[in-house]
Amino acid sequence: MTHKLTRRSVAKGLAVSAVALALPAIGRAQAKSVKIAMIAPMSGPWARQGQLLRMGADLAVEDINARGGIKSLGGAKLNIIYADAGDSTEKAKNAAQRLVADNPDLVGGTGSWLSSFTLAVTEVTERAQIPWLTLSYSDAITNRGFKFVFQTSPTADWQAAQTVPTALDLAQSATGKRPTTVGLIMDNTAAPTSFAKPLREGGFEKAGLKLVVDQIYTPPLSDATPLIEKVRSAKPDFLLLLTSAMPDCKLVLEKLDEFKLSHGKIPLVGNGAPFGSPELLKTIGPELLEGMLFSVANWPMKGQEEFIERFKKKTGEPFLTQDALCGYGHPAILAEALEAGGAADKIKVAEAIRAMNLTTGPAAQCFPGPIKFDEKGRRVDVPMIFAQWQKGVPLTVFPTDLALATPVWPSV
Amino acid sequence: MPFSLVDFLQALAAGILVGATYALMCVGLGIIFGAMRVINFAQGDFLMLGMYAAFYLATAGGLSAFLGPSGGPIIAAFLAGPIVFALGWLLHRFIVARVTGAGAAQTEGAGAYGQILTTLGISLILQNGGLIVFGSAPTGIRTPLSRSSWEIGDILLNQSRVVSFLVSVGLAVAVYLFLGHTRQGKALRAAADNSQAALYMGIDVDKAHRVAWSLGVGITAVAGGLVAGSQSFQPYTGFDFVIVMYAGVVLGGLGSILGAFWGGLVIGIVQQMSTLILPYQLQNTAIFVVFLLIIFLRPQGMFGRLSERT
Amino acid sequence: MSFSPAVKRQLWSIVGFAVAVLALMAFLQSDYFELVLTQVLLWAVMSLAWNILCGYSGYFSFGHAAFWGLGAYTVALGLIHFDLSPWLTIPAGAVVGGLAGALIGFPTFRLRGHYFALAMLAYPLATLYVFQWLGYQEIPLPMKREAPILYMQFADPRAYVALALGLLVVTLLISLKVENSRFGISLFAIKQNEPAAEAAGIDTWRWKMLALMLSGALAAMAGGLYAVVLLVVTPEAVFGMLVSAQALILALFGGVGSLWGPVIGAAVLVPLAEGLNAKLGDVLPGIQGVVYGVAIIAIILLAPEGVYWRIRDRFAGRLPEAVPMPAGGGAIPAMPRQVRSRMAGEDLLVLRDLGISFGGLRALDGVDLSVPEGGLYGIIGPNGAGKTTLFNVINGFLSPERGSISFAGESLVGLRPNQVCRKGIGRTFQVVRAFPRMTVLENVTAGAFVGAADDAEARYMAAAALDRVGLGARANALAGGLTNRELRLMELARALAPQPRLVLLDETLAGLGHDDLDAILGAIRQVSAQGVTVLIIEHTMQAMVQLVDHFDVLDHGRLIASGTPETVVRNSQVIEAYLGKKWAEQVAVAAK
Repeated sequence: MTHKLTRRSVAKGLAVSAVALALPAIGRAQAKSVKIAMIAPMSGPWARQGQLLRMGADLAVEDINARGGIKSLGGAKLNIIYADAGDSTEKAKNAAQRLVADNPDLVGGTGSWLSSFTLAVTEVTERAQIPWLTLSYSDAITNRGFKFVFQTSPTADWQAAQTVPTALDLAQSATGKRPTTVGLIMDNTAAPTSFAKPLREGGFEKAGLKLVVDQIYTPPLSDATPLIEKVRSAKPDFLLLLTSAMPDCKLVLEKLDEFKLSHGKIPLVGNGAPFGSPELLKTIGPELLEGMLFSVANWPMKGQEEFIERFKKKTGEPFLTQDALCGYGHPAILAEALEAGGAADKIKVAEAIRAMNLTTGPAAQCFPGPIKFDEKGRRVDVPMIFAQWQKGVPLTVFPTDLALATPVWPSV
Repeated sequence: MPFSLVDFLQALAAGILVGATYALMCVGLGIIFGAMRVINFAQGDFLMLGMYAAFYLATAGGLSAFLGPSGGPIIAAFLAGPIVFALGWLLHRFIVARVTGAGAAQTEGAGAYGQILTTLGISLILQNGGLIVFGSAPTGIRTPLSRSSWEIGDILLNQSRVVSFLVSVGLAVAVYLFLGHTRQGKALRAAADNSQAALYMGIDVDKAHRVAWSLGVGITAVAGGLVAGSQSFQPYTGFDFVIVMYAGVVLGGLGSILGAFWGGLVIGIVQQMSTLILPYQLQNTAIFVVFLLIIFLRPQGMFGRLSERT
Repeated sequence: MSFSPAVKRQLWSIVGFAVAVLALMAFLQSDYFELVLTQVLLWAVMSLAWNILCGYSGYFSFGHAAFWGLGAYTVALGLIHFDLSPWLTIPAGAVVGGLAGALIGFPTFRLRGHYFALAMLAYPLATLYVFQWLGYQEIPLPMKREAPILYMQFADPRAYVALALGLLVVTLLISLKVENSRFGISLFAIKQNEPAAEAAGIDTWRWKMLALMLSGALAAMAGGLYAVVLLVVTPEAVFGMLVSAQALILALFGGVGSLWGPVIGAAVLVPLAEGLNAKLGDVLPGIQGVVYGVAIIAIILLAPEGVYWRIRDRFAGRLPEAVPMPAGGGAIPAMPRQVRSRMAGEDLLVLRDLGISFGGLRALDGVDLSVPEGGLYGIIGPNGAGKTTLFNVINGFLSPERGSISFAGESLVGLRPNQVCRKGIGRTFQVVRAFPRMTVLENVTAGAFVGAADDAEARYMAAAALDRVGLGARANALAGGLTNRELRLMELARALAPQPRLVLLDETLAGLGHDDLDAILGAIRQVSAQGVTVLIIEHTMQAMVQLVDHFDVLDHGRLIASGTPETVVRNSQVIEAYLGKKWAEQVAVAAK
């Protein structure tokens, strides 16, 4: 900028300065701030999720800017704008289209929690060539041959393949016996469906498990009695719960307790962040949850202790969960990409993400495993995290190098 | 048989227990529909308000602390009724009365349109207003009853649901007696049957409707308060129950309180027992299939009256 | 094909509207606005489709999402499983929608009113769960990079605006045609008073089914295009309650039962909701829903039937255009196809031992009645005697449990009301429900369809009927402004329009003052003089005594007297039935 000014005549220079002063936003935008976006449900039934994502993102942008912004862009500040995906795919798509149309200078974004929303939103962002990060992991998202969509959660296939053997190992080390039969309770939303598919198609067999209870329900669950009745009669050695909504988790867990199948009677492993939500704690209470194990794509890990405390203090949340953590991590990844790319240009940011292989730094600290995407935009070879409720807080217990606590298998 | 006797009985028990709360919700809706011929799309949201009212009474209101974690929520559920009754009263006075009642009954078509849109508008306001006031995080009333049960042989009866069952039945009986044997109740029925004639006979139809409306939403709110002890909820929860309520009321027969009660009960039973033979995912489809079957075979429902005036 | 001036105006309005939308499309530079515009147009189609069934016929459906969803899934699954282009599958969706309408209509049209509406609620929701169970929770439409246009995948969003506009124009034209044809008027008649429409010869079931199938086909096409625009189909998004509610809200807000109402609703509410989401969505989540809800309530309190009607009623002073009147008003035109066997004097309508009970109540208990052609017969009796039941049985609304009904030698038992009407029997109803916003002529035309080969002939016959009752001068007045007397005469004209041989008058004289009574009596006498057989029910002796040739007195389902007026009024049983035993005794004493 300065370069250009000295080249002009005084009159022109004055004119340009006048313009630059009169339209400060434009002048500053080019050097002083970079824009990213988050589209998440902020009203409607999933508003809580959007709220958590936003908390994380706000904190991330704050931290990044406090550290000096994007240094390779001259200390440009990161600026995040939010749009409400609402309660329908139509609203989500509209939000995406509006965001893209109103902000041609968008260099990256993240969202939208619900996989169908993410699908709709990324149709728009892909066309606009805006690199997009998401924690949704249904297969369809990265099966479309898109170049600008990046999933930070490992694929459902991978998660399933990681969850079951590890759970079995943990069960064996706790009870001395390796389970041979398994029960599966899940809802029919996209994520659990993707997770269970490879298991039914040989995954269970490979792990030496026979599926003796296989129940799929449509959320929201009205009453868990018939479900758990089936569990009671089939008596599987081990129960896998893929209930992706917290109210359903509560019904299933309480019903298990009612049927005297909890507290280790039938070892169980859940999958998904709702199993670790503060809402679950508030509605069920810490005693029933004690020792409950669940696998999840991302959870607060070793090395984040200070960050966790800071988050709790700032937001008042009792503990950090996946949504807020990814909400924090995604802008961090975008910041890294901006640093690497060296330009406030969405194509360069996308290229930088594709070339990424982060193992250190603020972004890498937010996710287990290196941040590296394959040509479909998926992360590969990342460890599956297991967390366990201990004294009213869900803490990462596995893998050991990322753990914040040691796993305890509830004794019968 | 793919299921055992125990499975069968357990599902039946679950169906009856769940169905009782549906039944109470349906009674609330049935009162409104029976007295005012209004399809209240916001009924599910009044249910939600009942849940939150009970929740706040139990926690912030100290009822759980005062009466214990088991008893508190039950009383809270009861008290949710009058609170929502009062809200309903105000809503009717200022908004609903303008599009329903004797006046609107004259302008046949126009009245119906106004009612539908108004209740849809109220629903939107309650849901989204609820989000603003209560926040988005799902919540629930903690009570040890929700995970304990009484046992009859191998059959487990969830205590929270049993309590809800008893309260629902008791309240439904009370409503039935009120409508059948008190002057106010009879005025309601007269206004329902023929609002013009009732007017000529000196019955304040407007007031009768207001009572019906407020009573209807209040009763449904109590049902909500009872459910709040078993399930968690958020401001948009009402939606999930509206369909169940309507299916129950139509099944039982529009205009009959007894029918509404049985209709809700049947819906609960169908919902839980369908899992014995159908995939769990089709629980609610089973409800609709039964609903449609009953409507076609017996349009007036189990207890309703067939005639709609020519 | 010549159009009436009113229709021509509407056609020009549609053209003008299309041009305006195209201009808007060119003017709006942002992809976002084009997307919103596309949605406005698609929802307008959906709402118009809903309107064709529900607005016109009064059969409210809370379940139109069923068609929208079927259309959307036809496109999505067609693309994924069979690689079929939406150019094919959107019209295919119309077929699916139409078939679904037929399937749904068969069982559901046995219901009325609230039952119908709530039953319709069940269909999309049941289907929603089935699709989730089938594994179609979310289907993204695959991108066809190699031949995008072939698969309706345009880079320029304006292409979608154009497609949606095309669909909307087609729907508007179809709606316009329906409104101005026998189809539409029959639907209006069904809405006003279905039994009366049925008795006037309108095959209500057929028209309702057609309306549902047409409505379903159009909604499905809109749903199919919606899938193409949204690119993601989930059961909740296309079968959910919100979709059905949206169709309803837009039509009710904009003006239900009108051509432009749904369009107005879509043009106002869709951008409003989106704008609220945009401005307030992240400011105070939920506030946009509250504002929208308040807006809906406010409007509905101010304009209960919708914006369109409110505005039009303000300007309703204008009379609609005059319809060309037939020449030589006053004389009955020459007899049409139905050959009148000069049976004057012979029995036209014969009832033998007619009986029907409701529960334990014997409403009709062995009624024998013979009405000769050309006669002016009266049936009289106290309230609850069974008079209206008798008419309902003759008409075919009720099936007799025993006995026979023959008309001109043919049995009427088992025929549906519109078939009875076709045989040559007309009927008036006690409660006259006219279409207040249509002219008297248009109101009466609804009754003439059954006897007319085409709409023009129907109008001609309607005009003639109006002349016969002496209401010719008011043919172009809006029915909403008629006096009580004129309403009764109009009702009479409607029954007479298809030139029936027998007309059943149901308490036509009830509640009339002296002058009005004379006028109606005169009209009835005139009608009888022209050769039409008249059977009239009344419960006031005084009026009837002056009118009829012959009385039959019905009490508790039985005929207790039959004969000329003079003999009947002196019959002691009759007096007892009307005035009670004491009076009968007094009269008997006095007669001695």
